[in-house]
Amino acid sequence: MRPDTPGPNVVLLSLSLVALAAWLGLDTVSVAANRIVPGTGYRVDEVLGASGALASTLPWLALAGLAWRPARRSLALALVLVVLLLSALPAWLALSAVTLVDRDQARLGIGAGLWVVLFLLLLAMIELRSRLVLSRFVGWALLLPTVASAGLCLSRWLEPLALWQEYRGRSSQFLGAVGEHLLLVGVAVGASLVIGVLLALAMRRWPGVQKAGFGVLNFLQTIPSIALFGLLLAPLAWLSANVDWLAALGVSGIGWAPALLALVGYSLLPMVRNTFVALEAVDPGVIDAARGMGMSRGQVFRQVRLPLALPVILEGIRITTVQAIGLTAVAALIGAGGLGTFIFQGLGQAAMDLVLLGALPILVLALLVDALLGALTEILRPGGAQ
Amino acid sequence: MIDLIHVTKRFGAATAVDDISLSVARGELCVLVGTSGCGKSTTLRMINRLIEHSEGEIHIEGQQIRAFRQETLRRRMGYAIQSTGLFPHWTVARNIGLVPRLLKWPAAKIQARVEELMALLGLAMEEFAGKYPHQLSGGQAQRVGVARALAADPDILLMDEPFGALDPITRESLQEELRELQARLHKTIVFVTHDMDEALRLADHLVVMHQGRIVQQGRPLELLREPADGFVESLLGGEDRGLKEAALLPVSQRMLPLGPRRLARERIGQQASLREALSVMLWRHSERLTVVDDDDMPVGELSLRRLVGARSDD
Repeated sequence: MRPDTPGPNVVLLSLSLVALAAWLGLDTVSVAANRIVPGTGYRVDEVLGASGALASTLPWLALAGLAWRPARRSLALALVLVVLLLSALPAWLALSAVTLVDRDQARLGIGAGLWVVLFLLLLAMIELRSRLVLSRFVGWALLLPTVASAGLCLSRWLEPLALWQEYRGRSSQFLGAVGEHLLLVGVAVGASLVIGVLLALAMRRWPGVQKAGFGVLNFLQTIPSIALFGLLLAPLAWLSANVDWLAALGVSGIGWAPALLALVGYSLLPMVRNTFVALEAVDPGVIDAARGMGMSRGQVFRQVRLPLALPVILEGIRITTVQAIGLTAVAALIGAGGLGTFIFQGLGQAAMDLVLLGALPILVLALLVDALLGALTEILRPGGAQ
Repeated sequence: MIDLIHVTKRFGAATAVDDISLSVARGELCVLVGTSGCGKSTTLRMINRLIEHSEGEIHIEGQQIRAFRQETLRRRMGYAIQSTGLFPHWTVARNIGLVPRLLKWPAAKIQARVEELMALLGLAMEEFAGKYPHQLSGGQAQRVGVARALAADPDILLMDEPFGALDPITRESLQEELRELQARLHKTIVFVTHDMDEALRLADHLVVMHQGRIVQQGRPLELLREPADGFVESLLGGEDRGLKEAALLPVSQRMLPLGPRRLARERIGQQASLREALSVMLWRHSERLTVVDDDDMPVGELSLRRLVGARSDD
């Protein structure tokens, strides 16, 4: 034991107390008679009774207690507790479904309290992961119990869960929508990467291009996405009416073509800016030495400047991709497909669970891409330089 | 070996280097010293064409430097700079092997050369070869920088304030190492610094620059004894010049053979400087020192009168 016992872990302490408050004070689930009517919310004590609710505070208090004296062992214990709590959330939904839903048409909704608790638990997990210095890989593995528990509960008890019902009604379209979404994002990011790198190189070469280029890109970024889709509608419609091969390619005023153009337009600024800054920011002393040693311009670029800039360029690709995943949702408005379709259908039908069916996968995709590219950046930083 | 003939460099309207002429003989360590902005770095960088000179001629072994391709020219010269310029994404061994690799040496030869240089610079192979630059201390990184500059065994070494960013103790030990290295390798070195003590300690040939011009050049002792003007005098330390000169002269130059008197208790090595001898006298309140050789055998004695007395004609 170290002689000085560390003070309370304030982050974990406040997270567990706020989570406790949300758990007790907010609706954890809601039950609606059918798809359209708003549901009735249920707090914990309305599901379990007062004594049950009191008992359910124990794990949160335990978590707070562990945060009070955060020695390494108690933090590890806290992490186990967080993983257990996360895995218990689907079980809580299952329990609510069994006790509260008695009619065939009725649907179980996920309440605000449960979302807040989920979010706070994930934050606690991130905090503990960094305190315990666990690798990225372990961090992801810690989510497996939750995924397994959710899968089990969905297959056995969660038939009335509204989100699950929406999914089953559209399971055939769902994968297609994810595919469309990823394709749009992939092509847009790929295209903007190629254009962006070329543009960044041109900017380094000719300072005039730099000023004008950033001006145009900044301007593009300020146009609201819906407005940009609208602006592209007329010229693209005209093009497809007058240019045969474009029409044959499927270009029209709505659909994937304007969506792709707009996405590339928005993706260019972060891509160009990061690539440009990355290439510029390489230590001038290193470049000076490289040239002084007798490397040719090409060698300096390929062997020194580019590899040193690569982590920052990848960072740009990461930011751009995450942004594009979100923007592509809006592209559904002009018929480009993707997960946004569910969001706008749900909004049109006032079916919030259908909106969630579109929004949640977008969130998950963004997080996954973020994590994957983040890991790649780390790998490409040899010797952990900087 | 290196000749600058009426060389001028202009950046737009500003003249950074103004009509300088300078010859560095083979095996000589030439130090360019001056305040910042005096054109000393520009001069150095014109020699390997990182900066192209505007007027005049620069010759390497009698050939104009513009007769070579830039890359060919630079690969013939070692280059070490203050920020070390080590590639952060390469290991120490790979950094050192840079120029041999550019020259397309076979891998085995590069490997052997890297090992040789690491031994020369006192970097243990097994400890340092696989390390990345950010894992090194400032002194270690600068050693790697020097090893890299020496890698292809160039005749010429260009060093731009290589020890400028180091703490005084590390700096002094690296200066000492450079002197020992130079005594063995006999490279032709052009060394830029703003630190006059460093310049005096290292230089065979000292060049003082001011506002783009060479104000005075010659051997360090000549400059100390006869500074050309007030600027050189102030740069050389004004009142401190006596101590600076004493630092350049070895005890063996002023000592007398052992006389009939008893040996003084305090001892000093014959290779130590007069400045060190004076310091020992001050510290020990002693006017007489016994001079000993490397084996601690008495070879002579040095009195305070001799130490400060009539200059020997060296």
